[in-house]
Amino acid sequence: MRDSERRFWPVADIGIRLVVLSLAALVIMALQVTGRLAIVENVVALVTSPAQISVTGLTNSVTDFVKGLREIRDLQRRNAELERVNSSLLVENLRLREVERENQRLRELLAFAEVRPGLELRGGQILAKVIGRDTNNFRSFLLIDLGSRHGIEPGMPVVTDQGLVGRISSVTERTSKVLLITDPTSTVNAILQSSRLTGAVSGRPGDNPIMDFIPQGAQFSVGEIVLTSGLGGNFPKGIPIGQVIEIRQRDFEIFQQAVIRPTVDFDRLELVMVVTNFDPLEFVPELDNPPASPATPEPGTLLEEGPPQPTEENP
Amino acid sequence: MNRSLLIYVMAPALGILAVLQSVVAPRLAILHVRPNPMLLFVVGWTLFHGRRDGLLWGFIGGLWLDIFSGGPMGASSLALMAAAMVAGLGHRTLYRTNLLVPVFVTALSTLSYAAVYLTILALLEANFPWRAMLERLAVPEVIYNGVLMLLLTPLLNRIPERREVG
Repeated sequence: MRDSERRFWPVADIGIRLVVLSLAALVIMALQVTGRLAIVENVVALVTSPAQISVTGLTNSVTDFVKGLREIRDLQRRNAELERVNSSLLVENLRLREVERENQRLRELLAFAEVRPGLELRGGQILAKVIGRDTNNFRSFLLIDLGSRHGIEPGMPVVTDQGLVGRISSVTERTSKVLLITDPTSTVNAILQSSRLTGAVSGRPGDNPIMDFIPQGAQFSVGEIVLTSGLGGNFPKGIPIGQVIEIRQRDFEIFQQAVIRPTVDFDRLELVMVVTNFDPLEFVPELDNPPASPATPEPGTLLEEGPPQPTEENP
Repeated sequence: MNRSLLIYVMAPALGILAVLQSVVAPRLAILHVRPNPMLLFVVGWTLFHGRRDGLLWGFIGGLWLDIFSGGPMGASSLALMAAAMVAGLGHRTLYRTNLLVPVFVTALSTLSYAAVYLTILALLEANFPWRAMLERLAVPEVIYNGVLMLLLTPLLNRIPERREVG
């Protein structure tokens, strides 16, 4: 074989491979956009979600262990002080601390349900465990361990006791994706608690969300609480979104803007609640959300399945 | 390992890597920017074994990533394949032994990955702030991945290379 031929074939092979794989990726994209990939996604989620749950548990344990190591120094100091009083109590205290933290979190979630009796919170079933996050820096999604078989549907609001997290963007049988309010494609109609000014909160890439469309000349201040306004019917009214930390006012613009610090710490989310009885008036499905009819669980399904098994994270 | 067998090992292995990227990588985020282990793997593999394999692992790895992402399915595949094509520039023993070449190639690959991915999002979603994404997230990711590759290169240099003609 001549030299030129020897060079040509590997290059042609790479070229063919590039074209074939690119076309395959485009076909897959088209299939997903038109909703024809739902079955495959369901099957893959069925296989991968247990792995994700296990890895999440393992990662949490490692994180807690590292955190525990950091705390050891403090604990040693405190131990020396308390040793005089009762050293055995310290050991007991350590064991109970984790239980107490878990208990506290659940009590807060319960309190959230009690002060909002209008929202149906179906016992433990509404509590979802965060099992993963978007693999990409450019999107802000969460993966939770509840899906259509648990009654979860696209558009349902997702909250914690601290405030609004986002809304369900797509569901498989056992898992769902949550579009966070920090994603640039997310918009939430909002109201400032004290001044009663309305606007829309949108996510910004790598930064705090911004509340836009606040009329020029309207007076409001840094520190004001931002709540969902309920306008548009996408979210229930009165759920905390964040606090104003900066006001942006330019004379040549029609509207003012407010930079919002979310009340929810998205980096530390472990448990969230899905509001199941709120019917969003308008929900535009995400690209990866097939336009199939919303999956309604059969009447017996929930009873058969029951709530997720009690665990440390999800009792 | 037999090349035809390799795909049966790599396909699930890349799935595991995607799960780790979904669960562990967010905990390694610095200023909201997470590392991209899948991209580093594809770039590393391409550097040492050439574009031919890099394209295939980019395609499969991208599909796995999109399963755990809110983005369109196939977008990460195209983006990783673009990254592999760029990384192929560094597939020469002469270049590879220079510590800066893998870092530079990783930075370029990350940039091309981000450019392709953001272009797809911009085409599919109206008013997508791709420019802000590029400035605030892609550039820091370029630095983050570059630094990680700098740390990984001494380890990768121990892997035997397979030369690719062309």
